[in-house]
Amino acid sequence: MISRTKFIGAVEIGTSKVSVLIGELTQGRTLHIIGVGECQSRGVIKGAVSDFKAASEATHSALMAAEQSAGTRIDEVYLAQTGGHLEGFYNEASVNVSAADNLVGSPDIDTVCRLAKAKNLPEGRMVVHHLRRPFRLDGRSVPDPENLVGQRLEAGYWTVHGHEGKIADNIHVIRGFNVRVAELILSSLASGAILASSEDKQNGVLVIDVGAGTTDFVLYRDGCAQLTGVVPVGGVHLTNDLSLGLRVTEGQAEKLKLRFGRGTVATKDRAEKVWLNGDFAIGDRQFPRHTIEQITAARTAELFEVVRKKLGAAFSPEKTAAGVILTGGTAKLPGIEEAAARVFGVQARLGEAPGWVAENLRDPGFSSVLGLLQYGLSSRADLAAPRSRTRAPGWMSKLFATA
Amino acid sequence: MSQLGLNPPTTRTWRDIPQPVAPRIRTLGREGKKRLAMAVGNIIGLVLVLGAAGWGVYEVVTLWETNPARITAPTKGVPIRDYAVRTDGVLDKAWVKRTLDLPKKASLMEADLVDLKHRLEESGQVSKAVIERRFPDILVVTLQERTPVARVVARIGDASPVSFMVARDGMVYSGFGYNVEMVDALPFIDGVKLVREGAGFERIEGMDTVADLLGTAQVSAPALYHTFKIVSLARFGLDRTLSVKSSEVEAITFGSSQDGFYRQLARLDYIMEETRRQNTAGQLKSVNLAIGDKQVPVSFFDTTPPDGREPSRSSASALRPASPSGTALFALPSRNSSPSKRDF
Repeated sequence: MISRTKFIGAVEIGTSKVSVLIGELTQGRTLHIIGVGECQSRGVIKGAVSDFKAASEATHSALMAAEQSAGTRIDEVYLAQTGGHLEGFYNEASVNVSAADNLVGSPDIDTVCRLAKAKNLPEGRMVVHHLRRPFRLDGRSVPDPENLVGQRLEAGYWTVHGHEGKIADNIHVIRGFNVRVAELILSSLASGAILASSEDKQNGVLVIDVGAGTTDFVLYRDGCAQLTGVVPVGGVHLTNDLSLGLRVTEGQAEKLKLRFGRGTVATKDRAEKVWLNGDFAIGDRQFPRHTIEQITAARTAELFEVVRKKLGAAFSPEKTAAGVILTGGTAKLPGIEEAAARVFGVQARLGEAPGWVAENLRDPGFSSVLGLLQYGLSSRADLAAPRSRTRAPGWMSKLFATA
Repeated sequence: MSQLGLNPPTTRTWRDIPQPVAPRIRTLGREGKKRLAMAVGNIIGLVLVLGAAGWGVYEVVTLWETNPARITAPTKGVPIRDYAVRTDGVLDKAWVKRTLDLPKKASLMEADLVDLKHRLEESGQVSKAVIERRFPDILVVTLQERTPVARVVARIGDASPVSFMVARDGMVYSGFGYNVEMVDALPFIDGVKLVREGAGFERIEGMDTVADLLGTAQVSAPALYHTFKIVSLARFGLDRTLSVKSSEVEAITFGSSQDGFYRQLARLDYIMEETRRQNTAGQLKSVNLAIGDKQVPVSFFDTTPPDGREPSRSSASALRPASPSGTALFALPSRNSSPSKRDF
């Protein structure tokens, strides 16, 4: 139980930037965002740390900037986890209700949950999340079976797991700042937590966070996260395609992407050209706008196709009534909603942060870190019981960790 | 769907990744090392502060137990709020405050106790003064007072004569706070020469003998004591006799070496009683109790009746003087009627 004011840092070590928010949590109830820090990322490829020192320096710079902006020190960190190494599988288990009167008790629920989560992982893999789907009691879906009457109780978990070394690297970057990682949260879940409402989750919604190096997605249905995934493709790949297709440098391609890139082709005039820099300096040259849009739109559509393919049978337009919510830095690409709508066959929209979020944090690039705070706080109570093995640090440990 | 055993294998989660309290230095970034250093610094600072505080408390306690007088600084600024006066006599708090004459905001720790003691004892009425500090702001004064046994009148310079008290030890002082009736009952001392010494006088020799006489008279023969007006020490230096002038006898001589005052007072009482009973010998002029214990030289004022008849002789066989104003010997009863057994 949180019984005092805590300063929680929400950290996302992305491929293009490191974002940090500091939330002041009072009495475990009220959260105020009091600090922001951002830094260009280094040493991170497709969401995974490839150069520990560079990644640490970038992350620590962002943490320091956030601490300076908040005027306080972080007590603990909620860290976003992404990367192509993350995978998931669904496993379920069932038990016969033990009570003679068939009344489902707490031991029955504990047993079926434990069984559903107990599946050996390959060597070198470790669990990031166990996402429970609704219980089923004698075939009917129930959110909480306790004290209901039935004979057979079933529970299913979507287990997200990743490469042990890559997860540990991510955590060690934060530990290098001498702060403890209290929660490790999938980026897609964080984005979903802040952008999708309860109704959306109940009706079925697909949240896609298109980042620079990866695209994270989560499918909600019946109020629960059904499936998550990460595609190691993001905005950087659009830039790379432009660079190859137009034979320009990555820096120039990035500029063109930001200025003229689109998720769908909108330009009809194939002869319309745009300047690379627009300053008429030496080296400045023209490119067909239609071509730029074609390249970015093709890659965007391909990206969504990959996501849809990974979702497989779990996704169906009929069961995704709330449509697709797009977020992440690359989601600012004009026309990306249309591209998503075409691929998934449902309406698509850009995610909007709740009204209480300050204007400077409403950019899609902040949705993950905002969601980290929301998801982390709401899930802490649920995780408290399984976390009984991890001892709460004493005051001496806190002194070391937070001073 | 799987129906597994009740003890399924546990899977490793990200929470199994160790996050030690003291991380390995090599994994720390520059800022992390800075934070760790600050954390260690905080702990060292905390330990030092606690240690210093503990050491300070220990030092103060030790100092207090060994020599509290050295602890002046902490209470230097606390002024004396009140005086607690304890005495076996008549002096009161007002007299003490007036005599000590301390400034209004004098601090307790700055007060010179030895000097204050001298001030009190200089008055003469105080034989011994003990002054203590009661923290935080009370000055405790304990007095042992002299008791006056007689009075003496002295003139200082051209001023009018002033009456002083004389204590048993010969100390002459201005009395304060005594009951007026008690003071009026004290006899005067005569036959001494007062010599100035500082602000007071030198002690009077022989006052212990005077005190014995008066004390014995006050306890054993209060009626006689109340008639004593003047005690003269004029001859004390010569033959150690005291001469008392009473309202009934002009001169009563007491000897201090030969006999006890109790016996002498008893004889005096007998003589005066016999004299009053016979009422023929006239008023006693002098009684010399310093000589012998069977016959006491007495003299009378001339009280011969105008018809020339002699007064009748008593069975106590007192001798009539040869002349009406001469000295005669007053014969006392035999030893078996010891004066010690008679009631005054």
